Amino acid sequence: MRIGRRGGLRGLAGAAALAAMPRDAGAQTRAETLRQVTGNTINTLDLTMPGATRESFGIGMQVYDRLVAFGKKPVLGGFSFDHTNIRGELAESYTVSPDGTRFTFRIRRDSKWHDGTPVTAEDVKWSLDRHVSANSLAKSQLQISNWVSPDQFRILDPMTVEAVLAKPDRRGLMNLCVPYVIMINSTLAKKHATADDPWAQQWMKENTAGGGAYTVESNRPGEQLILRRNDAWKNGPEGKLPFFRRIIAQTVPEAATRASLVERGDADLSIDLLASDVPALQQRGRVKIFSTPIANGFTHIAFNTRMAPFDNVKVRQAIGAAMPYEDMFQASIFGRGRKLYGGNWSELPPDASFPRPMPQHTDLARAKRLLTEAGFADGFRTTFSFSAGQAAAMEPLAALVKEALARIGIQVELQKMPDAQFNTAQAEKRLPMFVDGATAWLPETDYYVRLYFTRDQRWNFSNYNNPEINALTEAAQFELDPVKYEAMCRRMVGILAQEMPELFLWQPNFEAVMARNLEGFTYQYYRQIDFRDLSRA
Amino acid sequence: MRALRSAGRRVGGRLLASLPALFGVVVLTFLLMRVLPGDPAVFFASGPTAGQEEIEALRKELGLDQPIPIQLVRYLGDIAHGNLGRSLTTGQPVMTDLRRRLPASLELTFSALALALSLALPLGILAALRPGSLLDHAVRLVCTMGVCVPTFVSGLLLVYVFYVVLGIAPDPTGRIDIFASSRPEITGFLLVDFALMGDWEGWWAAASQLILPASTMALFVLAPLARMTRASMLAVLGSDFIRTARSLGLAEGRVIVVYALRNALVPVLTITGIVFSTMLGANVLVEKVFSWPGVASYALDALLASDYAPVQGFVLLMASIFVLVNLTVDLLYGLADPRATAA
Repeated sequence: MRIGRRGGLRGLAGAAALAAMPRDAGAQTRAETLRQVTGNTINTLDLTMPGATRESFGIGMQVYDRLVAFGKKPVLGGFSFDHTNIRGELAESYTVSPDGTRFTFRIRRDSKWHDGTPVTAEDVKWSLDRHVSANSLAKSQLQISNWVSPDQFRILDPMTVEAVLAKPDRRGLMNLCVPYVIMINSTLAKKHATADDPWAQQWMKENTAGGGAYTVESNRPGEQLILRRNDAWKNGPEGKLPFFRRIIAQTVPEAATRASLVERGDADLSIDLLASDVPALQQRGRVKIFSTPIANGFTHIAFNTRMAPFDNVKVRQAIGAAMPYEDMFQASIFGRGRKLYGGNWSELPPDASFPRPMPQHTDLARAKRLLTEAGFADGFRTTFSFSAGQAAAMEPLAALVKEALARIGIQVELQKMPDAQFNTAQAEKRLPMFVDGATAWLPETDYYVRLYFTRDQRWNFSNYNNPEINALTEAAQFELDPVKYEAMCRRMVGILAQEMPELFLWQPNFEAVMARNLEGFTYQYYRQIDFRDLSRA
Repeated sequence: MRALRSAGRRVGGRLLASLPALFGVVVLTFLLMRVLPGDPAVFFASGPTAGQEEIEALRKELGLDQPIPIQLVRYLGDIAHGNLGRSLTTGQPVMTDLRRRLPASLELTFSALALALSLALPLGILAALRPGSLLDHAVRLVCTMGVCVPTFVSGLLLVYVFYVVLGIAPDPTGRIDIFASSRPEITGFLLVDFALMGDWEGWWAAASQLILPASTMALFVLAPLARMTRASMLAVLGSDFIRTARSLGLAEGRVIVVYALRNALVPVLTITGIVFSTMLGANVLVEKVFSWPGVASYALDALLASDYAPVQGFVLLMASIFVLVNLTVDLLYGLADPRATAA
């Protein structure tokens, strides 16, 4: 009896050992493996799923290709994405009709999905149809450039697909490069589609049907995800394979632990260390640090422009003049970023770029005068909110705001709120004044302004409604003439500077801390790591 | 045989009696989560284009568009079918997550408890044998230190000394070396699994990952265990039957271990049960510091994101474990003191 049980156990153990044996153990060396440590988790393999985390976007870029992709341009210490330079990815080439409404994509001849089957126009059409039809993040993203119906995508021949817009749109092609617009192996996905779920969304949460540079080797959500290089991948720039054969993306919740892992050389890369740890790491010099201002984002203080007293433009301007910008910049992010205050212009900015330094200057006398003009000579009481998740940077800033506003008679109560509560109150426009960050994937001036300053929607943080801005953003999207477009954008930014629905503070640095022998890091607008660009010297 | 049957009946009765309590816990947690001001749909619909439409869609998918009583009935129905819902944080069914993570927490807690008991019992007994001596004071000092230093401080300190400075501990990230090619998946308890496979190298790798977090936790619970042992031993050592045993000339070792300790064990068992349950839920800081993929850090992440299902599942799991632990402790009373069985 006893021996029998033991024998049974041994058999069980043997079976488990066989099952656990990797197919080609030892094929990769440590040098060819990249270990990333992050505080966050990947909650879906289908990045278009509502609720997908940003880390899921990063993995989706590696596992799936898009028809087209952004290029990159050199910046100090590495590269940054370049949305003005678009290359074919799964498409070998593309053409745009002279009127800017017709896009023709030639699919790469020898492209294969991960399961070895060839990529066809059918797959591309099915993928695009899915993105405009299924209830997913892709749908709302594609709507912003008026990709709304499957009728817009046509198969011309087995290797060519045409996409047609009703009218020329500045972001028509650009929007096909974003993470959501993945190209899917439709034959494989359709096998797992059901009557309730025609686009196989349930199955794709846990499985992949792509043809990108990496395949998912294993996934333990909340612990680690391992990627393995797809050696048949030909869609990179000049058809080059990525350097790393294996990528380990590991969740390590404690930031201090992540820092010591990278510093000791046990991990290769982390992009979410504490801002306060980075200067010390830099000083000790055992790691390489890639820092670049988040060029497609900004940190801002938003006023609820439909809530008294912030519906009064003079109150907003008074607060804008009372802020100790320089002290805030140092206390909050240790001066590691690009300033968006102290701009030397009034009325209209010198060019159409945005975010840019705005004409906000500390001037207490002016602040007091404006507040008196607004009818609040004795000040008032209000609250200033920030989320607990950003407390490390925002708490010192909030203290300075409180102190500065007390000088002009405004009594501020600070509110530190758990992230989910903060986001809810923010979306319901219940906060009078708060500090937060914002980014846009497609960094075009009119798009920022449309996203953050128009319409009744979540990202209109300041609940702002200005008829001229509304009209300008609606027209600018379809304006292909660069001179007219620039004039429109300068006007929009000029209005924002005058009306101050938000105070622009800075673009904090994106800081990637990595092993000294890592090269080729590229800052991406979705603020994740593109492992395909990295190599080890 | 009869004793066994009566024990069985007692266990069955106790489990049955715990059902209303578990039901209450489920309903209470359910309501509590919905009273909290955070909205999971808003939190997770945070993509760059997430508008009101997307928030509504997510809310509908989660069933949050329904009135709360209907949500509750649906949830209870799901629980009856063994479905605890889906976590937004990990994207997995809560049942799968808990099943995968519970062994990690249990393995850590059991190791820490074993370590703590193996230190606390001898220390407590020694302190009781020589009350007021230098040794007694030393034990008191160690206990006070252990309970005063928060676990994340002692954890980070241990990491700093043994990993960062000395470099003798493996990197404090999870249960096994990240570059190790395979891990067994039999019971989920890595030490047990590696032992079953006879892979002693793997066993040692898993054990060495376990040493620092287990020591951190053991240090924290040393105090209640050692102090309780000391107090209980003191009371027993002063009682009549010990004096009698001594006066009859029994060997000192026999008097202490067989007569005194066994009688002193009942309160120690009680406190051990409580300590165990607390550790399982409260070791979240240790799990965070050591990237330990356990249930407590899972629940905390979910709570911060207002992710209802995992928090509810976690509380239900903890309540069930608490029932089981209390039952086990009660049965152990019977072993320590046969009179307890009759009660």
